[in-house]
Amino acid sequence: MKRAHLLWAAALLAGLLLPLVAGDSPYLMKVLIIMVIFIIYTHSWNLLTYSGQASLGHAAFFGIGGYASALLASRLELSPFITIFIGAGFAALAGLLVGAICVRLREWFLAMVTFGFSIIIGTIFLNQFTDIFGGVDGIPARRFFSATLEHRYLYEYYFMLLLAIATTLLVYWIMRSRLGVAFAAIRENELEAKVLGVDVVRYKLVAFLISTYIAGLAGALQTHSFAYITPEIYSVHNSFWPVIYAIAGGLATLEGPIVGTVVVTLIWEGLKNLGLSFERFVIIGALLVAMVIFKPRGLASIFDRWR
Amino acid sequence: MPELSIALQVLFWGIYAGCIYMLLATGLTLIFGVMKVVNFAHGEFLMLGCYATFWIVVLLGINPYLAILPAMLILGLLGIAVERLAFRPIMGTGKLNEIFVSLGLIYILQNGVAFLWGDDFRSMHSPYAAKTIPLGGINLPLDYVILVGFTALILIALHLFLKKTRLGRAMRATSQNRKAAQLMGINVERIDMLCFGLGVALAAAAGALWAISGQLFNPYTGSLPAIKAFAIIILGGLGSIPGAIVGGLIYGIAENAGGYLFGNHWKDAISFLILIAVLVVRPHGIFGEGEE
Repeated sequence: MKRAHLLWAAALLAGLLLPLVAGDSPYLMKVLIIMVIFIIYTHSWNLLTYSGQASLGHAAFFGIGGYASALLASRLELSPFITIFIGAGFAALAGLLVGAICVRLREWFLAMVTFGFSIIIGTIFLNQFTDIFGGVDGIPARRFFSATLEHRYLYEYYFMLLLAIATTLLVYWIMRSRLGVAFAAIRENELEAKVLGVDVVRYKLVAFLISTYIAGLAGALQTHSFAYITPEIYSVHNSFWPVIYAIAGGLATLEGPIVGTVVVTLIWEGLKNLGLSFERFVIIGALLVAMVIFKPRGLASIFDRWR
Repeated sequence: MPELSIALQVLFWGIYAGCIYMLLATGLTLIFGVMKVVNFAHGEFLMLGCYATFWIVVLLGINPYLAILPAMLILGLLGIAVERLAFRPIMGTGKLNEIFVSLGLIYILQNGVAFLWGDDFRSMHSPYAAKTIPLGGINLPLDYVILVGFTALILIALHLFLKKTRLGRAMRATSQNRKAAQLMGINVERIDMLCFGLGVALAAAAGALWAISGQLFNPYTGSLPAIKAFAIIILGGLGSIPGAIVGGLIYGIAENAGGYLFGNHWKDAISFLILIAVLVVRPHGIFGEGEE
């Protein structure tokens, strides 16, 4: 058994045992639940970047998935356990549209269009169709588990963990498959990939489709966990968090989103307990700059010599 | 004719907004031209320009218009420091890293200011705040007229600097061909640094004028104008200063006309629709030449 396998096993065990740390504290359980949701969300952003497309507006897909799932659950009286997967489909549709627009664009151009798209979507959800989207107040969303159920946070946590593990396995499989090889080829040199016969447009769209589906799923998970959704979900923070997590952990790696989300969440919550507010953002920003300059391959690269 | 006066009003407000965008976009395009770096945190320097002007006026009690140049100087020095500390180490390591470093800078600058001076909206008053100039049936606020004049002055000065001075020529040379410029004995890293400082100073001028004309500002004021400035330099062609000026003007007018026609909350969304349309139809901008 390789050491890398041991690390993954240890991570899995830690994930399973983590609720013990939280004990009876609902606050800590909520933090853990959001952390796991953001591991899924960061995986989604990271996978898109793996194909050479860095989005700065992933909040759009996060939010569309959330709204779609909340609406399906309340209007059609479906269980949230089903609607999260359908709602994510709406995010993937939007992702396909944006992907098609962006197919010729790279780097800053892509970043700008995705960023702009999330602003436009945010404006629409805030100002238009207020009878459907509820305007600034948003809409309520059904909970996964009844609020009166004992240990409901615990169930919720393990449900999220299950999906996070599934997402990790999916990303692992993609990175290992033909698809992943094509993504990496496009990322490293689009022209060369094209010359070698990779259908660049198709693979870029596939990357968008998968990534935005997962982002929508994560958004739906957060929505039903919070039991409400407002246009706040389209805030730039929700677009930037996965970027920060993935870079802190290790860009375009499988373990990056997990390591980054956990470590940065720890720092973030730790600083919160110290009573800091704006300083937290300054520290996170400084961390981001320092990571890019001094440790461009992320915190996960610490484990490299274990391989 | 009320329609005409409304049209004139919208046009003038567009020109006013366009002036701010022009200065911001010119700085951004200058930095891009020389360093081939897009600084997403450019708007944060506009915001810092607002605060620098505000504090100079509050502490020294001078006429706000006299605070513009000192504010530009302070921010220019800060820009040089930022270039040395944050951008120089990652030059040539990939475009994504530049995006990520700017993202970090946005967090640092916005929240650093919020930490120091709070995140409430502030505003300042110009001594000419109540004065207006009648023109074609509408009353133009005197401050806005001065602001347009100031912008023209700064842009002319920039033009002369780039065309007539040795340093300006070196900047243009570096922008055209970095390697050749290096072979001609130009210290391109020094040019990068000065150019970044100059670009930031222009953003500071935009911020100073923004604050003096009575607009509210807080630590998050810079983000949207920065994105728009980015859209403008794409519209005008990356690295092209005339493009940034014309683009800024078009953008300011289009945005205000759009805001008037569809309601103000659509202003920002309209700007992005323009950007996306331009990117899809003409990825190299209206004035830009094809590359890649």
